[in-house]
Amino acid sequence: MSARDVIVGRSRAAALFATVAAYCVPLGFILAPLALFLTYSFFSVDHGNIVFSPTIANYVRFFTDPVFQPIFWRTCLLCLSVAVLCVLFAYPVALFLTGLKGRWRHVVLVLLLVPLLMSYVIKIYAVRSILGGNGLLNRTLLALGIIHEPSMLFVFNLNAVLLTLTVLLIPFAILPIFLSLETIPKALRHASADLGASDLQTFLRVVLPLSLPGVASAMSFVFVLAIGDFLTPQMVGGQSGFTFGRIIYSQFGTAFNWPFGAALSVILAATVICAIALGSLAERRRTAR
Amino acid sequence: MAEPGVLLTLRSVTKSYGGTAILHGVDLDVRDGEFITILGPSGSGKTTILRLIGGFTAPAGGEIRLDGQDITGVPINRRPFNTVFQDYALFPHLTVEANVAYGLVVRGTPRAEVTKRVADALELVSLGPFGKRYPAQLSGGQRQRVALARAIVCRPRLILLDEPLAALDVALRHQMQVFLKSVQAEIRTTFLFVTHDQEEAIAMADRICVMNAGRIQQIGSPHEVYYRPSCEFVATFFGDNNLIPGMLGPTSGHRRSIETSLGTLLCSIKGQPALAEAPVGSRAFATCRPEAITIGPASGAGAAENRIAATIDQVAFGGASTMAFAKAAKDPSIALRASLQSRPEGSAVSAGDAVTLSFRAEDCRLVPA
Repeated sequence: MSARDVIVGRSRAAALFATVAAYCVPLGFILAPLALFLTYSFFSVDHGNIVFSPTIANYVRFFTDPVFQPIFWRTCLLCLSVAVLCVLFAYPVALFLTGLKGRWRHVVLVLLLVPLLMSYVIKIYAVRSILGGNGLLNRTLLALGIIHEPSMLFVFNLNAVLLTLTVLLIPFAILPIFLSLETIPKALRHASADLGASDLQTFLRVVLPLSLPGVASAMSFVFVLAIGDFLTPQMVGGQSGFTFGRIIYSQFGTAFNWPFGAALSVILAATVICAIALGSLAERRRTAR
Repeated sequence: MAEPGVLLTLRSVTKSYGGTAILHGVDLDVRDGEFITILGPSGSGKTTILRLIGGFTAPAGGEIRLDGQDITGVPINRRPFNTVFQDYALFPHLTVEANVAYGLVVRGTPRAEVTKRVADALELVSLGPFGKRYPAQLSGGQRQRVALARAIVCRPRLILLDEPLAALDVALRHQMQVFLKSVQAEIRTTFLFVTHDQEEAIAMADRICVMNAGRIQQIGSPHEVYYRPSCEFVATFFGDNNLIPGMLGPTSGHRRSIETSLGTLLCSIKGQPALAEAPVGSRAFATCRPEAITIGPASGAGAAENRIAATIDQVAFGGASTMAFAKAAKDPSIALRASLQSRPEGSAVSAGDAVTLSFRAEDCRLVPA
């Protein structure tokens, strides 16, 4: 064996190792916990001790107990509203971004993405202080004479969760919409104008339909991030802002019922997978043509 | 105001991008119902003219008139012109029918009329059965025809075609040339066709406008532009040509002589009055197409006015015709070419032959240097 063969052999072994590692890391850190969850969801708890014998009691409880399903559906509705609101706010911003030229586009894009670099908890506190009794929102409304005493409508309830999640997740909606707007060839807008369409007609008939794949992925993006979030509802939701994420959190924490928490997590994961599948389905149906 | 028969007029139109002048004062009359081709190499400003007429961009100076009315400031969506784009620019999310209907729908045409006109337009471009398909499901030639139908259906005063055949392969391109020409003859709408392909221009146009470096070099019928080039650029841009430099001699009637290093040549100036006025001694070229040159034996006599002794350098078979490359005996720096009809038994001349190249004064034209 020559020196060259040794080197080649060694680099080949290194490559093999890298490949194995590349597949093993996600396998170990993502799939294994998921599998563990799935397994735990079929166990039960007796006086604080986990009973390791398979049962579907946890799932039966979710589907029969009158407490959980309403919260589950309410959370889905909440996150759907967050997704819709985010898209409504993000679309004009993305449209504005595509209209910018050269350096300004990068500057604005970076400014929009800066919040993503900040700590999530700090951002929640910031939004909470805006929405609170002495917050910017209340003081503005008071100054404008719309209300006469500070309103508590915006904190420690579902409204607060809705508003906070929307504010925090808008950047995630801007990017996919911006990217899909960017892929629309300029020639199509020219062709539309050439055929006699006004700017508004061009937007409604060409730009908007062609950007719908981006809207679909933005919505599924935001929905998934919102439904998995337990921190925001915990911090701004108060007593009435109870969401599915908080229930799961309480099962692992206060209730110390890991198997039931695992079962609820599996249901949440299934919901997330459905949302992603729906989003990419809508995306593919549009782009297939 | 408007001259009879003139649809569109460009007067001293200029355009520049980022300080670089693209068009230097273009004057052009587009006649109603004609098929006019703007021909030029890339960067000559031909597409800029189309974009200015279409309203995609505004001129820096000059004006554009439609029926004598200034339309320079009219926005793109209010001009009665439609464009067939180079890359088709079909709407990918709409069916063929909806693509064709687009221009009518945005103008609020009643539905029944839209349906009928779309069906007629698709029939005209022989795409009747393809209405329900999406652009991605069509071939390049079919998409091209959808783009054409989408423009025709709006019944514009003028259809602008921006190198629409550039993306097609040769066979399909020839087919589409014939097709476009027949459609234009049928609907009698004015077509303004931009291309860089001389053969395409010659095959399709009623008139050709040759452009170079932001200026119009010559406007005329394909025959005129081919046989009576007005400048050196046009003379060399179209196909093969012989250019012999020299100095102008005296004029006699429709003929004028030119002194060249190969002797005095006699050229026709029929229909080119400006050339009769040019002072004696000014520099010019005598031009003669290869197919007008006859190759004869070195000692032979003939009726043609111009005779040049030469040696055959090379003979190249090119299908229907064979091209003979020759060097003039008096000045070997001047290369001449003559085309012969190809024959199955092979060419009558071969490399090294001493010959006489002869051509009539009628086949020889003068071009100012």
